[in-house]
Amino acid sequence: MQYEVRQKPDFGIVAVRFDAPGEQLLVESSAMVARDTAMEMKTQMTGGILGAAKRKLLGGESIFQNTFTATAAGQTLWIAPGPEGDVQELICDGVTPVFMQSGAFLACAPTVQLDTKWGGAKGFFSGAGLFLLRAMGTGPLFFSCYGGIHPVDVGPNGYIVDTSHIVGWTGGLEYQVRKVGGLKSLFLSGEGLVCEFRGQGRVWVSTRNPSSLAAFLQPFRPVKNNG
Amino acid sequence: MQINLLHRPAQALAQVWLEPNESIVAESGAMVGMTTNVQMQTQSGGLMKGLKRMFGGESFFRNTFTAHNGNGELLLAHALSGDMSVLEMTQHGYFLQSSAFIASSPTVNIETKVGGFRGFFSGAGVFVLKAVSQGPGQVLVGGFGGIQELMCDGNIVIDTGHLVAWDATLTYTVGKSGAGWIASYLSGEGLVCHFKGQGRIWIQTRNPVEYGRSVGSQLPPRG
Repeated sequence: MQYEVRQKPDFGIVAVRFDAPGEQLLVESSAMVARDTAMEMKTQMTGGILGAAKRKLLGGESIFQNTFTATAAGQTLWIAPGPEGDVQELICDGVTPVFMQSGAFLACAPTVQLDTKWGGAKGFFSGAGLFLLRAMGTGPLFFSCYGGIHPVDVGPNGYIVDTSHIVGWTGGLEYQVRKVGGLKSLFLSGEGLVCEFRGQGRVWVSTRNPSSLAAFLQPFRPVKNNG
Repeated sequence: MQINLLHRPAQALAQVWLEPNESIVAESGAMVGMTTNVQMQTQSGGLMKGLKRMFGGESFFRNTFTAHNGNGELLLAHALSGDMSVLEMTQHGYFLQSSAFIASSPTVNIETKVGGFRGFFSGAGVFVLKAVSQGPGQVLVGGFGGIQELMCDGNIVIDTGHLVAWDATLTYTVGKSGAGWIASYLSGEGLVCHFKGQGRIWIQTRNPVEYGRSVGSQLPPRG
């Protein structure tokens, strides 16, 4: 399987070309843009009903995911996320898990297992969601966000990320949710809470966040006429 | 201080390198990430200044980020999709459309000014910011869409919703675009800024208020 992420960072799209029949890619529901007609598509609840329900309810992913299977060499598949923004590709090495914000998953090889993880109560306060998706295995993984994706390599000194800008991070990093600045800053700075990552690994941050866009649009909504 | 602009143009991110004990003042909510040795302090600069800023369309508070014990990195971004520009301070300084301000060197003084127009029709343009400094410094501005630099050689008219910043060497008046108020209103051009003199003007290729209207009207009503 060969692939390339095109139109980065504004409107990322993944072009996949399968080398042999039987090769597969697991794709988030509704992310397929185009495919060869002869390619097989199977809709499934990955991890069974319980696993899928858990992912839907807790991780924010769809219940169903689609598995595309090549029936001949040279078949192509195009996949893209919903929001305008970047797509990040990554080769899972079988050793280090990757954690993703709910909703960030786009596609992966069938040899990569997805699981929903309890992010801890800190997830609730961080706005990062209570649950995280954990990807572990070998092969390619694609995830996406609203905005560009900027990688940050975290060293022993750590790194601080605004909770609304976290897309994902590699295992081996520990994080803590905390406020920045003093008590005054917590309420008045507009920065809210941050995640402080420690350890050795990589964090992917988004250059935009959908809640700021929503907040900008809010005053433009029509006013309900009660009369 | 060094500012690198990454992921341009639509998803621009400013990577700011701070030397030990160096600071940068940023608009509330602009911080995306930073090294752990960067500390943030929130200040309004006094109640009156804060209130004035709030009327200027910005936040009441601004944050100062300072690197302690070595170099620091700070990532800053704008709320809407679009590009950013770094303006090097000049003797005359700049005027900024208030929501374009993202950050500035601490040596740069940012004042809120009444834009020279008293009216009720305005979506933008009643308040502007003036950036001045005694010495060198930088101002980071953000636009909605791309940022285009124009030269004003004599005079030019620009829609207020497309303004990002301009050289303070230019004089400007905000007014109607057409001959009469009704014609101006019907033309859909709203308020425009008449510039005179010699200087540079940075415009944004999309108008946020127009965007808000086109998308917002499709949303369910509030309240």
